[in-house]
Amino acid sequence: MRYYVQRVALAILLLLAVSMLTFGALNVLGDPLFNILGPVAGDVNNPDSIKMIEVAKREFSLDRPLPVRYAIWLSDFVRGDFGVTFSSTGQPPVSGVISERLPRTVTLVAMAQFFAIFVSIPWALITASRAGKVSDRISTLNAFFLVAMPNFALAVILKYVFSIKLGWMPLTYVADDPLRSRLFQMILPALTIGLPVAAVYQRLLRTDIITTLQQDFILLARTKGLSRPRILLLHALRPSLFSFITVVGLNTGALIGGSIVSETVFRIPGIGSTLVESVLRNDFPVVLAIVMIVASSFVVINLLVDFAYTLIDPRVRR
Amino acid sequence: MSTTNNSAGNQDEVAKKKLGFGFWLCVTWLALMVFVALFTPLLPLKSPTSNFLDSSQGRPPYAPSWKHWFGTDKDARDVFSRTMHGARISLTVGFSAITAGFLIGGTIGVISGYFRGWIDRVSSFVFVVLLSFPSLVLAILLTSLIERSLLTVSLVLGLLSIAPVGRLARAATMQYADREFVLAARQIGAKDRHIIIKEILPNVAIPMSSLALLGMAVAVVAEGGLAFLGLSVEKGITWGGLIQLGSDASKTLEKAPWISFFPILMLFLTVLSLNFAGDRLRTYFDVKEMTL
Repeated sequence: MRYYVQRVALAILLLLAVSMLTFGALNVLGDPLFNILGPVAGDVNNPDSIKMIEVAKREFSLDRPLPVRYAIWLSDFVRGDFGVTFSSTGQPPVSGVISERLPRTVTLVAMAQFFAIFVSIPWALITASRAGKVSDRISTLNAFFLVAMPNFALAVILKYVFSIKLGWMPLTYVADDPLRSRLFQMILPALTIGLPVAAVYQRLLRTDIITTLQQDFILLARTKGLSRPRILLLHALRPSLFSFITVVGLNTGALIGGSIVSETVFRIPGIGSTLVESVLRNDFPVVLAIVMIVASSFVVINLLVDFAYTLIDPRVRR
Repeated sequence: MSTTNNSAGNQDEVAKKKLGFGFWLCVTWLALMVFVALFTPLLPLKSPTSNFLDSSQGRPPYAPSWKHWFGTDKDARDVFSRTMHGARISLTVGFSAITAGFLIGGTIGVISGYFRGWIDRVSSFVFVVLLSFPSLVLAILLTSLIERSLLTVSLVLGLLSIAPVGRLARAATMQYADREFVLAARQIGAKDRHIIIKEILPNVAIPMSSLALLGMAVAVVAEGGLAFLGLSVEKGITWGGLIQLGSDASKTLEKAPWISFFPILMLFLTVLSLNFAGDRLRTYFDVKEMTL
């Protein structure tokens, strides 16, 4: 029990540190006023502008000292109020932006993870059963190629081949389309994120399956005359999945990072592309909210992976 | 990336002792790229910013030809020359970032692994905080707030590599901190500084340096991603920026795929070489764990 409390406390401390860093960096290095008022913000000799600056400062509580603003933001944030966007009107509220766009990113990341898992498992099974043969070597080389292809480049290639040349896939994402066609439009973006990750999974799982295949119970299954696919699927796969599951959990962060690029290339209005837009517009409340959501999901997933570990192997708990 | 490839028993045991043909092929490519990056202004390249309008060919972009090996972009600028110039920023940033990361992260890691105690606890917490952002998110956040020069972009990417490098250096140091030769050095009255530099560092440096190539691959990809999003070195020519330029409108990509595909090819071959050579080196020096 003590272990769990400690871990959760550490996670909360971590998120506090992350939020302080982000909040501090945004406010010290950036200039939110310019974004709200435009060029007026820099015009400090004109009395009219000064008045407007004063009003805007009070409205977005920029006249308070930094620690106070942080405290206000934090107490709002934990109650689910993410503040207002930094624009001339302050509309729409950040929580509106997030609740509209987060589901798309979650769908995209889930789809990418799904592809990565269901490409890598058969791939690993086939290559592990032929370890060292020519087909296995070619596949290892392929995995190397996939890992070396940055996802923004992969996105451009997939878009060119499947959307432009072959015309199999739609070019863009249309937010008003029915769910089924939106899911269809997400296939290429999800593959962009999922394929390199599949290569990472495959390399790991292949090694583990090879180790399992050398054990006695596999030999027994073979002497019983069971077919090769049956041995692989029903006997070898399950005991090899231990570290695979951990890596799948931990890689969710990489998938979120990939979604930033993929959403930008395929024009999906999710939180990844919104992060890039807001960062370029100095829209700090949106940036802060997205960074916190991403970091929280990252930390929570890590926590869950750790807890899953202690359930499987209680020695970790000390 | 994580460890793999200790497959098929004996075959790999033998392969481990040699670096192999593929390794030297990759090193050759990397040497070529470094040469290009170092001497770009001296090479007989077309100007990367001039417009080579050719009225007989109609409106640009022009397809690859003898005159323009990689074709030209919408403004009739030479893609080959721009790609070569792109090598400069991409490789410089990749190299400086990983150097900064190794210097800072390595120092923190060795010190906290050697002294342990509160230094270790503080630095470990800082590492965990840095690692709880997906690295691209942190990079976007920081580069958007600063003036993006070659130095600052390198420093931001260097900052990202501090945590993974630091953790590895710490783990490697802890392996040696209680070994007999360290205890012996302490017994004869050597100071901590002397022990770290003369006894620990040589042992830690070899496995760490074999990871430098893999780290540089990560940094080069990260720089490309930033440039692609418009957040790398301002006004500079980078591979990521060139790829973005050729693909931002699907019409450009459809009509003139060469604008983004040649930079993609160069970036791909460079990252592949860094990864492959790094992987061979890691097996060669028998470094087990790797979490960059």
